[in-house]
Amino acid sequence: MASVAMVEAVTMALAWELTNDESVVVLGEDVGINGGVFRATAGLRDRFGDQRVIDTPLAETMIAGLSVGLAVQGMKPVAEAQFMGFIYPMLDHIICHAARMRHRTRGRLTCPMVLRAPFGGGIHAPEHHSESTEALFAHIPGIRVVIPSSPSRAYGLLLAAIRDPDPVVFLEPKRIYRLNKEEVEDNGEDLPLDVCYVLRDGTDISLVTWGAMVKETLEAAMSLEDRGISAEVIDVATISPLDMDTIIESVAKTGRCVIVHEAARMCGVGAEIAAGLADAGLFHLLAPVKRVTGYDSIMPLYKMEMKYMPSVKRILNAVEEVMGIS
Amino acid sequence: MKIFKLPDLGEGLPDAEIVEWLVKEGDAVKLDDPMVTMETAKAVVEVPSPYTGKVAKLYGQEGDVIETGKPLAGFDVEGEEGDEVDEQPIEDSSSETPGEDGKSREETEESKPAADVAPEDAGTVVGAMETSNAVVTETISSVGGIKVTPAVRAVARKLKVDLALVIPSGKDGIITRADVESASRNPDAVTPSAAAAPRAAPATGRTLPSGEWEAIRGTRRTMARVMSESHKQVVATTLMDDADIHHWNYGQNITVRLLRCLWAGARVEPGLNAWYDGEQNMRMLHKGMDVGMAVDTPDGLFAAALRNVHNSSAEAMRASINRLKENVNNRSIPPEDLKGYTIMLSNFGVFAGRYATPIINPPCVCIVAAGKLVNEVVPVLGGFEVHKTIPLSLTFDHRAVTGGEAARFLKAMLEDLARPE
Repeated sequence: MASVAMVEAVTMALAWELTNDESVVVLGEDVGINGGVFRATAGLRDRFGDQRVIDTPLAETMIAGLSVGLAVQGMKPVAEAQFMGFIYPMLDHIICHAARMRHRTRGRLTCPMVLRAPFGGGIHAPEHHSESTEALFAHIPGIRVVIPSSPSRAYGLLLAAIRDPDPVVFLEPKRIYRLNKEEVEDNGEDLPLDVCYVLRDGTDISLVTWGAMVKETLEAAMSLEDRGISAEVIDVATISPLDMDTIIESVAKTGRCVIVHEAARMCGVGAEIAAGLADAGLFHLLAPVKRVTGYDSIMPLYKMEMKYMPSVKRILNAVEEVMGIS
Repeated sequence: MKIFKLPDLGEGLPDAEIVEWLVKEGDAVKLDDPMVTMETAKAVVEVPSPYTGKVAKLYGQEGDVIETGKPLAGFDVEGEEGDEVDEQPIEDSSSETPGEDGKSREETEESKPAADVAPEDAGTVVGAMETSNAVVTETISSVGGIKVTPAVRAVARKLKVDLALVIPSGKDGIITRADVESASRNPDAVTPSAAAAPRAAPATGRTLPSGEWEAIRGTRRTMARVMSESHKQVVATTLMDDADIHHWNYGQNITVRLLRCLWAGARVEPGLNAWYDGEQNMRMLHKGMDVGMAVDTPDGLFAAALRNVHNSSAEAMRASINRLKENVNNRSIPPEDLKGYTIMLSNFGVFAGRYATPIINPPCVCIVAAGKLVNEVVPVLGGFEVHKTIPLSLTFDHRAVTGGEAARFLKAMLEDLARPE
């Protein structure tokens, strides 16, 4: 079993599926000869040829449209948006076609495409390379939005996303692309979509998060343990459709919840989770649900970006506030 | 001297070549004056002067290739402090912005050595990615005795398999993905998969379809842990006797009297109002008394502290008992009230039962349990009377307390309870 970083796990999953499913094609800007600006597709063009690992022109609208067309005609395109900041021209195809193809054709056609995009801050990138706008996609019915937080989940969830008969937006938190490694068996085994991953059991408070913030949240949970507070950590993993059952079950046990996300607070996925708890978990709650999030402002350039993103300290402050209420 | 370092002139460009200097050392320049033309892989770019001042030093000749982030030109700027000449490249020196809590600074520092050791091709992106070869593994959860990784737990959630019903086949009793999938395929199967056969059916309950196994959570789980810990450590011995309360004045509150008699016992034998640390073989005799009251709830057993029993009036005690019960019922009991008591009291007799062998919650060394009030025939002056009595059971930790101490403690309690008020 090899120890791989998250970005290598993405490559591994793509290679597995290119090998085992002839209908899979990878396309995007610089995914071929260059191997992807983050090296997520490194070596794939050499192994599978330029008919299956396709360098596209610098035209996001076209990448999305091409993917929709390929998908409804029986291929399984895995498109890459080089950064989430470049994904917005693709929204028309995602919202108006990919998401509703099954509905529009009464189930005659589906759109088994995956749109991969690195997202999030923390790598000192230039402007509009650091946002987390996953909530935009979570708001669109008809697509799945999946966010891995470790090498093994990147591998298993990406395989599941490619195999899923419906469109999946697969957002890769680029800050943790190479943060550390994990042993991942390259056995083609996928992981379930649409469910949360409980990474740590606790009895006093539920910390709900996803993507790169799993790192800070787990660190906060460890620090809380030293203070005698037992925190459960839930990696939501699929933010749409949202597995509220796991979250409510956890809060039924702990009575308290803090949601951590890097994205801006206003209408973030954290708001949906908090609303779900107010709806179905109110009588389990011993304290208000708190959110630790980015700010409702433009993501700052790199000198200030770590101030924007939730830190372990901010998570601990929120937990302290919640624990202090009851 | 202020050092101007070559910025990234494109997007992810590692370097650029000097085509032509438009200034020379000693020239006075204004902000945004043309300074140099540079050729990158993408285009020829004119770089303007970043300062108003005097050009002090040019760091390359025409035709030289300058790496992004390395010094390009030095300036003498009036009224400005100079830079250290051997300053770090741009991403190291300028990204150190101490965050609100120093976090970002710390992270930048952490990332420096990591970036240095990164041997692999990390891509062609502008920026600095934290890189490490450290191999991490996710923790295996073992709630309620169920050992499972996050991934397998998610599979069980997806397949709607109750993990409590899955018979583990993995090492050390870990539930594997195959176990979950096989449980999902055969939801009614009570026999384990072949791999798990040798350790099959440890509990007879698994073969009975009459109920469902459920994971033990929350308070009930705490109870299970505390009780088995206690059972492992404590050398428990129980004494039983009856307190004669025939002479009580009207309106005495039993719980309040029981609390008071504990303190009466502790005044005689402080060794029972104490904590014992078996590992270090130390004990602490308490000067005051906080009583851990056992409270039964549907979720399990709580022991909640009633503070300062040694100097509380009957009214104060009654009020704090009521507050405690209310807190427990509302599940709003502060965590600090669930620990820190010095002796324990169980009033199980409100339901039924005369004597018990109650269990001590370490580090306490004594628990007293009161049974159901009974009318006993008592010999009095050559005749008989029927007196109301409270059966008492006192468990003490024989590692820390002698039998004599416990018996004298119990005697002092009985004497205190025998008083009219």
